[in-house]
Order: sequence, then structure tokens, then C-alpha cells
Amino acid sequence: MNRLYTELAQAVAGMDETAAERLAEEIVRQGLPVSEALEKGLEAGMEEAGRLFENEEYFITELLLCADAMDAAMKVFTPLLKTSGKPAKGRIVIGTIFGDTHDIGKNIVALMLTGAGFDVLDLGRDVSAERFADEAVRFDADIIAVSTLMTTTMNNIRAVIDVLCRRGLRDRFRVIIGGKPCSKSFADKIGADDYSASAPAALRLVKRIMREKYAE
Amino acid sequence: MVQIYFRAQDKTASVPEGTTILEAARRAGVIVESPCNGIGTCGKCRVKVCGSDREKLVCEEGRHHLSEEEVRAGYVLSCQTKVYGDIEVDAASTAAQNKSLKILSDGQSFAYAIKNHITKRFDGEKTLVYGGDTLLGEEPGDTTNAVYGLSVDIGTTTVVTALIDMLTGEELASASALNPQSLHAQDVLTRIKFASDPEGLRIMYDGITEEINRMIAYTAARAGIRTENIYEAVYSGNTTMIHLATNVDPSSLGRYPYTPQITGGNEIPAKMLHISPFGLIYLPPIISSYVGPDITSGVLASQLEKKKGTTLFIDIGTNGEMVIAKDGSLSATSTAAGPAFEGMNITCGMRAGRGALELFEVGDDGGIRTHTIGDTAATGICGSGLLDIVGELVRTGVIGANGKFVTPEKGSYPENLKKHMVLLEGKPAFQAADGVYLTQKDIRQVQLAKGAVRAGIEALLLSQNVRAEDVDLVEIAGSFGYHLRAKSLIHIGLLPREFEGKVDFVGNTSKSGGKAFLLNTDLRRHMETLAGKIEGVELSNREGFDKLFLSALSF
Repeated sequence: MNRLYTELAQAVAGMDETAAERLAEEIVRQGLPVSEALEKGLEAGMEEAGRLFENEEYFITELLLCADAMDAAMKVFTPLLKTSGKPAKGRIVIGTIFGDTHDIGKNIVALMLTGAGFDVLDLGRDVSAERFADEAVRFDADIIAVSTLMTTTMNNIRAVIDVLCRRGLRDRFRVIIGGKPCSKSFADKIGADDYSASAPAALRLVKRIMREKYAE
Repeated sequence: MVQIYFRAQDKTASVPEGTTILEAARRAGVIVESPCNGIGTCGKCRVKVCGSDREKLVCEEGRHHLSEEEVRAGYVLSCQTKVYGDIEVDAASTAAQNKSLKILSDGQSFAYAIKNHITKRFDGEKTLVYGGDTLLGEEPGDTTNAVYGLSVDIGTTTVVTALIDMLTGEELASASALNPQSLHAQDVLTRIKFASDPEGLRIMYDGITEEINRMIAYTAARAGIRTENIYEAVYSGNTTMIHLATNVDPSSLGRYPYTPQITGGNEIPAKMLHISPFGLIYLPPIISSYVGPDITSGVLASQLEKKKGTTLFIDIGTNGEMVIAKDGSLSATSTAAGPAFEGMNITCGMRAGRGALELFEVGDDGGIRTHTIGDTAATGICGSGLLDIVGELVRTGVIGANGKFVTPEKGSYPENLKKHMVLLEGKPAFQAADGVYLTQKDIRQVQLAKGAVRAGIEALLLSQNVRAEDVDLVEIAGSFGYHLRAKSLIHIGLLPREFEGKVDFVGNTSKSGGKAFLLNTDLRRHMETLAGKIEGVELSNREGFDKLFLSALSF
């Protein structure tokens, strides 16, 4: 594997925005395949950042700095992706459920998914079940990601599933949930497809779902 | 059905197979701490099950893992353990905890004249009792020398009731207890959810009413007065607690735009209380859904609007509620700090009861000085101890600005502190006392909690367009706040460094302000007007709050 990819991964995991940008430019200059740089540089770097976060080495602040470094490199790659045609990775509609306005966690997840090359439509907060469904159809999403911080609004997530079922759309999207009061058993209870406990875990989950989807 | 016997409480729950131990405890009226509300993350609901009973259990995998030692000793997480046969359980008795719990019942106050809402007039045969200008009722004979009232501070965790002679203003007796609602739901949001249906609301309302009636009987007996001569109670507490205590559906508080159903600032009949049959309850004005009558009482007790310059008033607890006053202009907000300051969601965390490490200091030589409640060996860390430990470790460089432990190899902190750095299940931890540790995860919890409060402070400063150095006085209210040390609050960055030397601990102003509301009816009208003028700052709607919060996470 090209040394530049490894260094790019290290720059991302090491929160070094300047180095990440410089390495991305070098990769472009040498004419290396961008798709490979994304996978072996940026994604590998973010995966390492996620691992450090889950090992309690990194905290949210560091995770966001890694995302910044990734973003700096991504900006260098983006123009080339447009001409070469970006490989479809997956499309995600994300938002905080109606009744709740807490969105810091959701924003971090959206940032990490975007950084990892997914197409993300962030609906913001206090989002109705109907809007989740409408926007998912319009955006041709693969995944609907729903978040909440409050115990009092967690049951509202069920309404998203209900609307999808009512409209005969349930099988078209995978619904994943997250946020402080949620858990795997809650996801099972309301008929959501899956749950993740942290932003790096959400990224892993989305990757797994997309892998499974393309394997089918 | 299976029988679950709780030995320490001598109570049995008869429940369907597959019920969790936690649900059974709640049904039997046994309090088991459950701050994460049974989702298996905090580990505080662990109970001990007799060895031979273990095969009747199915334990689900929680995100919190008990140590091997605990598992060997027979501990299980009660929220994750379903029962399929009759068992016996050892759950810590809260009655014992309750006795040793440190509850502060005094707060700062100010001088005011007694001008009661309740007045009496003897007409030669009977005594007429008035509430303002309204005749409430009459009593045979002359009872004009017996007018008593109550200041009730309804906290999410604890309830404090003071019996007051309304003719002299003297406090005759007081009582405190755990809020029995926490039996069913520990934090405010879980309680809102619980009370969102009529049955849940009834349980909450009956629970708190019974407890207050118990405290009324107790204080009246202590003071040697008749409960019929109690005519008024002031209910001070957060907005949710006041909804629940007055039997009002709180569900709108739990969803955007978080609108209260009642506004406070009025007297209601006290039919549910065992006091005079025509007694009243006064509800101080509510500022917003998360800044309630307890804060209105605090603003009153502190006389915030009269203070010259800029004063910041903060009640630190599960929620950080705060008010800033700049030459009579007031704004208020509230941030969700979570239960870390109560010692919850912390590996060795516990409430401020016997055995809790409550003070921790590092000397210049690196020597450690600690104090434990009850002067026994430490069994855990309470909120004040937690903030001390983190504050001192940040100050001495054991914890870096990013919140990460600095390993002994890399650190340049005193040798003695290096000896306290250990590996706990392969991860670095600080040994604060024998068997009592601070882990990396605990530091993260403190960062989140203090970050929330600090971001709230920054947002309030912005709302009045002042800088931290412009603040003249910082008042920390609340019984929890009273046990904190200013330097720890500054070391962990919960308060800006510019507040050094300006911090004052004012105690339970919810209660002392409630007493002022009880004794002077003019203050009620004054505060009702003032509360309407206090600007409520809703943080989640505020542009850039993300950034404030994230930058407040570091030390």
C-alpha cells in the first residue's frame, strides 16, 4: 500500500488538519486513485479515531478535530470525485425526533457519516414522522437515522416506523436509532432495525448495513 | 407467579415470571437506585442474590459489566435480570441510606417584615380566618395566637419541610426525606414520562402528598402544635415537581416547546394536606419549564434584582439552573448536567451518605488529604468528592487539558500521585482510597456535566452582554452546591477562572425563599411581577450553543 495513504490515515487520527490537506494534495499530484485514498487514508484514519474514542483515549472534542482533518482532505478530493463519478456508498436521512430539540449528538453522527463519504441529508431537530418518510423517499435514502436525548420523546420514534408501514415503505429503508435513552432492546421493541451507542459505532453500523445491502 | 423476597426491607413482591428484579422491587416499594432507568448502563442497581437462587435467573447483557469479583459474590444488575422462580435478594436499604444522607436545610435570607396572607380576627365568640381579603373559615373560641405555616422544598431527590410560626417567623421544626417518587422514576424526564398517563400521575401525586403529610405530622408533634392550626404551605421546587405535587399532567414539559401547564403565583386549596380544612398552598411564580419556583424563591432570598453590578446565581444539581442579574435586569436558563454530580453514572459513585469520600486535596508535597462522611473507610465517592478529585488531578497535571489521564511515565507530577495511578481491568485509573477509583470514563462524565453548566453560564453572560471578569458575585445555591469547594469548581472549569474569589455558597435558598413567600404577601406580588420580566434563555434554540458546549468540555 502506498505510504501516503498510511500517512493520511495517521494525520486524520492524529487531528492534524494541515498535514491531512498537504497529503491529500500530494496524492492528487501523484495521480493516485482517489477512491483508494478515501478508503485507505480517510476511512482508515477515522476508524482509528473511533477506536481511540471507544477506548476512552479520545473524547468528543478530539473526535471532532479528526473529523476536521478528514474534511480538509476531503475538500481536496471532492472536485476529482465529481469528474470521475463518486462511487455510491449509501444515502442517509438523519434527524432528531419531534418533541426534542437536542441535536449535538446527532450533528456529530452526521458529520462523521459525511466525512466517511456517505450522502447525508440532515433534517435538523423536532422532525415529524411524516417528514422523515417524505424526505427519505425524495432523497432516495437507504437508511433513516433517528435520534433523541430525552426519555419523554423516545417513544415518538415509533411513529416513524408506523408511518413507513402505513405507506408500504417499511422494507425500502433501514431505520436505525441512537441517543441517550435508547438501547438495542428498545430498537427491537419499536421495530427499528438497529441501534448504536456512539458516533463511531453509528458509522460502523451504517457501513455494515450498506455492505449487507450490496451483498444481496 | 414468582415470589421475590427483599431481605433488608422484609418485603415480598409477587410478580409474573420473566419480571426483572428492578420491576419487582418497585412493585414491592423497595427503592433500588436506578439512575439510567433500567437500560443497563450505570450499574447502580446491582443487588445480591443467594447462590442457589441464581439458576432461577436470566441475566441479559447490559452495557455495564460487573467485575468478576462481584459476579462471584452473587451480584447481578437488577434491571437486566429476569426472575423465573422464587428468590431472596439483598438490596441496600434506603432507610439506612436516608438516615446518613446529608441534606442541607438552611439557606441565606434577608430582612423582611411579617405580613401574612393568612390573618385572623376574634369577634368575641369565634375566630375568623382570612386569606387576603377572603374569609376562609371560622374556628370556635380565640385562636388568634396560633397561626402556623409550612415552607416545603420539593426537590427531585429530597424533600425538606419547615414548620414556621407565622406570628413570629420562627422556624419551630423541620424534617427531610427522600422524595418517594424516585422509587418509580429517578430523574425529572423519567418522572414526566411516568406521569404522562392518569395512573402514573396519581402515583406521583399520592406519593409526594403522603410524604409531606408525614412530615407535617412529625414537625407538628415535635413543635407541640395542632395541625389544624397550620393554614398555609408554600411549595417550592422545580417546575416538574410542582406539577406533580399539584396533580397537573406534566407531559408538555417533556416535549418541545416545553410549555408548563401552570404559571404559579397563586394560592390553591390544600384539601389533600392534613392541615386546617380551609388551608391554602401558595405556588411561587414559574419562570419557565426548567426554571421553576425553587429558583424564584432563590432570586427572592438572594434579592438578586436589588444587587448592584452583575451577580450570577447558580443552583448546581442534576440540572444546572441559573439566573444572571445585571443592575436589575435578569435572565435565566437551565442546562441538563445529568446525574454525575450526585455520584451517579460514576464507577465508584454514591450519594453523600456514610462512607462517601467527600473531600480530597493534594498538598504541595503531593501528599493526599481526604475526608469521608461518617469518618469511616471510604466505600465510594460522592459529588463533592468527585469534583475535588478531578479538580486536584487537573491542577497537578495527572489529568491533561483534554481530560485524559497522563501516564506516570509521561507525567511530571509528584511521585506520591504516580503511586496512586493503577491499572483497573487494563485501563489507567486513579486510586483515591482503598478500593475506590476514578476511571477515565468517570472523567468523561464529569466533563459532560461541567461542560453543560459552563456552556449555560457562557450563554447567560452573552445574554446580558457581559464578560466573565465583569461578574461581581457568584452565588451557588442548593444543598449539593453547599458541599462544594470553589477552587474545585474553578479547577475543573465549571466556573471561569475569572470567578476566583467571588464565589459565595448560599445554601438551600429554595427553602429560605419559600419561608419569605410564606410570611410576606407583598413579596408574592413583587415576585409575580418580577418573574414575568425575567428573560428565559432557551439554550437548544440558541445559535452556536454546540460550540459553547464543545469548547466547555476541556479542562
